Amino acid sequence: MGLWSTVAERVGYGLLLLVAVLILNFALISIAPGDIADTIAGDMGGADASVIEEIRTRYGLDQPFYVQLWRYLSRVVQFDLGYSYFYNTPVTTLILEKLPATLLLVFSAQILAVITGTLLGVLAAKKPNGAVSLTVTFLSLFGFAAPVFWTGILLIILFVSIFPLFPVAGMMDVTVEGGFFVKTLDVLHHLVLPMITLASIFLALYSRLARASMLEVLGADYVRTARAKGVPERGVLYKHALRNALGPVVTVAGLQFSAVISGAVVVEAVFSWPGLGTLALQSILARDTPTIMGILFFSSVVVIIFNILTDITLRFIDPRIKSG
Amino acid sequence: MAETAATEDRTGQEPLELKITHPLSEMATMFFANHAAVAGLVLLIFIILFTFLGPYIHTTDPFEMVWAPFSPPGEEGFLFGTDYLGRDILAAMMVGGQVSMAIGLAAAVISVVIGVTVGAFAGYYGGVIEEALMRFTEFFQVLPTLLFSMVIVALFGATLLTVTMAIGVVSWTAVARVTRSEFLRIRELEYVAAARSGSARDGYLIFRVILPNALPPIIVQANLMVGSAILFEAALSFLGLSDPNTMSWGQVIGSNRPYILDAGFAVAIPGFAIFFTVLAISLIGDGLNDALNPKLRQR
Amino acid sequence: MSKFARFLGGAALAATVVATMPSAPFAEEPKRGGTLVQAIQNTPRHLNPAVQSGIATGEPGTQLFASLLRYDESWTPEPYLAKSWEVSHDGLSVTLKLVEGATFHDGHPITSEDVAFSIETVKAYHPFKSMFAPVEQVKTPDAHTVVVVLSQPHPALLLAMSSQLLSIIPKHIYGDGQDPKTHPRNSENVVGSGPFKLVEFKRDQHIILERYENFFIKGRPYLDKIVMRIIKDGSARTIALDSGEFMLSGFEQTPRDLNRLKKNPNLNVSNEGYAAIGSIVWLAFNTKQGKTADKAVRQAISYAVDRNFILKALMLGTAKPAKTGIHPGSPFYDDSVNGYDVDLDKANKLLDDAGYAKGSDGMRFGLTVDYGWAIVKPYAEYMKPQLKKIGIDVTVRASADFPTWAKRISNHEFDMTMDNVFNWGDPVIGVHRTYDSDNIKKGVIWSNTQQYSNARVDELMKLAGSTYDLDERKKYYAEFQQILAGELPIYWLFAGPYHTVANKKVGNPPNSIWGTSAPLDRVYLK
Repeated sequence: MGLWSTVAERVGYGLLLLVAVLILNFALISIAPGDIADTIAGDMGGADASVIEEIRTRYGLDQPFYVQLWRYLSRVVQFDLGYSYFYNTPVTTLILEKLPATLLLVFSAQILAVITGTLLGVLAAKKPNGAVSLTVTFLSLFGFAAPVFWTGILLIILFVSIFPLFPVAGMMDVTVEGGFFVKTLDVLHHLVLPMITLASIFLALYSRLARASMLEVLGADYVRTARAKGVPERGVLYKHALRNALGPVVTVAGLQFSAVISGAVVVEAVFSWPGLGTLALQSILARDTPTIMGILFFSSVVVIIFNILTDITLRFIDPRIKSG
Repeated sequence: MAETAATEDRTGQEPLELKITHPLSEMATMFFANHAAVAGLVLLIFIILFTFLGPYIHTTDPFEMVWAPFSPPGEEGFLFGTDYLGRDILAAMMVGGQVSMAIGLAAAVISVVIGVTVGAFAGYYGGVIEEALMRFTEFFQVLPTLLFSMVIVALFGATLLTVTMAIGVVSWTAVARVTRSEFLRIRELEYVAAARSGSARDGYLIFRVILPNALPPIIVQANLMVGSAILFEAALSFLGLSDPNTMSWGQVIGSNRPYILDAGFAVAIPGFAIFFTVLAISLIGDGLNDALNPKLRQR
Repeated sequence: MSKFARFLGGAALAATVVATMPSAPFAEEPKRGGTLVQAIQNTPRHLNPAVQSGIATGEPGTQLFASLLRYDESWTPEPYLAKSWEVSHDGLSVTLKLVEGATFHDGHPITSEDVAFSIETVKAYHPFKSMFAPVEQVKTPDAHTVVVVLSQPHPALLLAMSSQLLSIIPKHIYGDGQDPKTHPRNSENVVGSGPFKLVEFKRDQHIILERYENFFIKGRPYLDKIVMRIIKDGSARTIALDSGEFMLSGFEQTPRDLNRLKKNPNLNVSNEGYAAIGSIVWLAFNTKQGKTADKAVRQAISYAVDRNFILKALMLGTAKPAKTGIHPGSPFYDDSVNGYDVDLDKANKLLDDAGYAKGSDGMRFGLTVDYGWAIVKPYAEYMKPQLKKIGIDVTVRASADFPTWAKRISNHEFDMTMDNVFNWGDPVIGVHRTYDSDNIKKGVIWSNTQQYSNARVDELMKLAGSTYDLDERKKYYAEFQQILAGELPIYWLFAGPYHTVANKKVGNPPNSIWGTSAPLDRVYLK
């Protein structure tokens, strides 16, 4: 099967999944006690029963479930995720405003984790009983066992409070004057700690995977042949083996995106990172249901897109892999 | 989150080959040959004794205000100090540990029950049923786990039950995939095929014949599930979505969080408790994997 | 001329002096220029205080929009957009003269039409209905004269015309027929009347404000720019204030962080101001359903709660006790009421006498205590171990989100709730709503959710709310507070410990009764 038809098939299937996600989210919100009319009424400083009924009518809450669902779905098709009653702004606008921050965090953390993880894994595989190997084992255990917010808090105490090397919160210092380069540098400066915190969860997994597949590859015939032919050790390690080690790491990394987003929610809360997670928490506390549903939907979209991208990336890394 | 981190690790490996008639004693030998796993086991036993027997020795009520808030650890006779209300953190660690572990265990049971059911039926029946069930699994994989459970807890109230359910419901997919691949393999084995061609009923085959033999990787997976559920509960508590009437480690972290600058210990101590517990569990998981996975033994 | 009018006249005169000689009261000459980096705690839902209450909107909103009057730190009204005001002899109309030459940020002149429009908008859409409820009509005899016609004397009117309670908004923008509550110009391209104009509003990140060059007070504001960084996390704000990254933050109330910041020689940490915000943390009872309907139970609980412990151990001395529903910083506060200082024996005896015997487990009965958001959670949790001492088994009920809590409380489905409620200047605005038997409204949060009703209390509020005579009002409110302290629909704990943290480089840090929810036009950087 060609690349494009595979992609087309995956996209089509992804769309189906999204519809299912929408229906589930909608049903969940509908069966929960209380609705947006109560929230708005409370917010207005109170309203009597007739006003509440009027709000229900205005938001279509008086309609049967399937009518509401149908209306919602048909709006989503037109990229209209509804209106945030809390911020008085279309949900799509809100999400698009926050998405770049979350993507930056998620992407940079993933890249950091994949690169460092693979390198550590490779180094560890070189000497399975050496110090690096031990460090990798230790790191992987730490990454898995430490609650991510705890890691973040420890980093804040260490690198912001005791040794003030990094800014404490947010994504940028708006008072920084300068051109694009200076501003980018400022954002990167803010990014360091959240990125490391988020990457720490996954570093463990990737270094283990890389180590395991490297060990396997290093025992394989063609590597032995290469060695016998006198290819320098460095060349063996990085040219032949690394490529094979990267495959499983990328596969798994692609599957992790749902988990990375979950991690990002917590990391954003720790570092006041102005992304989707912060918006989600705020919307949940205010029960801004259109925004909550919008974020759930969008997260699923991101996960599906990354799953498809992972497929494509894998084909470049290892052309032997066929679809599926 | 970290929970999938460890689970993917397992599924990334090749299907396991299992000798069904393997004696238990050899497994035990294998397990105990893994020093890290033994250390994990010892650590976990210590933690369990600490949390479950501790309250009989140290009888302070974790909700009682016993001293000025944020008395540092070791001073005034409080080993772990006091929290923002002047409550004994040592007592909270003990009682909170029970809750954290209970939530971890219960959530793991929920996800194992769902995961095994889905995986077993998919693997056993194959065809349309398998297709449908695996699509269902994929659907849950696409949901952002933490966000989704935050919404569940927020909508239905922060009680122990909803928190446990919310964690269980979002974290069963890995179990389902492991179970399915085991079932796919085992159902082709001779003795199963023989039983199938006989008059054995499906339910008998699934739960009495195949499942027992598919258990080892599921056990490894379930073990890790407990650890990740503890982490999950802690994350929800940290975000403020927990039941204030039940002490849990996450609850202690979440409620002391505003004071990290002055009383970092009140956050660090429960953090270490979670860290060591999950660490112990994952070390045991490694050991179990060694003991139950014969392929490794040959290395 | 009534006492009130004389009082006002004097104040106006004094204020005119201030206005003509701006440098006189200051020890040093304010410097012009610079960017102030200020921390704010929450993302405002939008920036138009005319249709949105709360501090999150108030802090930026009072920079963007001017009000008619402003107040200093000792409750003295000063001219702002109104250069003078006069109350008629019968107290039924107030005539205000507007500053001439004032313009909105788009250059349109600010006229009496805009003022009338603003008052009508606030009256119709702002949640604090009592602010302008007695306003029958707003007359505009000429472009710079506004006559507010009242159905009864309304002593809260002047406070309701200050700070964020009455933002003067442009009629030519908001009068276009759209719902003002959801008007798109509430958060984008905001055209205000205040000292600063909006440059950028990024939710969860920052609000950038810039000096409005044609502001109606010549030479002000001093600052070129205000950057409000939105940082929810208290520890993060503390670190940034400590390091000098942020120069100013208002409404700070975490005792430990405050005490940490007080040690920094570069910072001024002050609890001056905020009296009009009037934040009080209290324990409210359901006076109609359940065990708390019994006055003896409410009294026993109040005797069991150790206010001093809370103030010393939890608040670390940063908060003042509040023995009544009126803020201790208010001229109407009566300190002589029974404060129910802790007395466990008395509490136990009250319960014994009322027939609630202890069971074999030492417990008499169970109660729930609710809380709606994180700030008041520790005090709700405090109730559990403390009330156990008098045999009440308290369950702390968490609400995952604010609406869940609001729904429970406003539908009267609760025993006790920890709450933090604001006075909002005059008792008529923020106090009456809690005790008025006409304001028992199911589904309405911060109405009389205790369902307390007492004819004399209702009458006292009516009397105090319809006279300008300060002494007479004090007398009525004193009796009002005495009755309430006896019947205890609420046990008041302490005044919210709001502090302003300012770097010493900040000149004239805000200290008015509205704290930092007031124009920062006098603030400068040294």
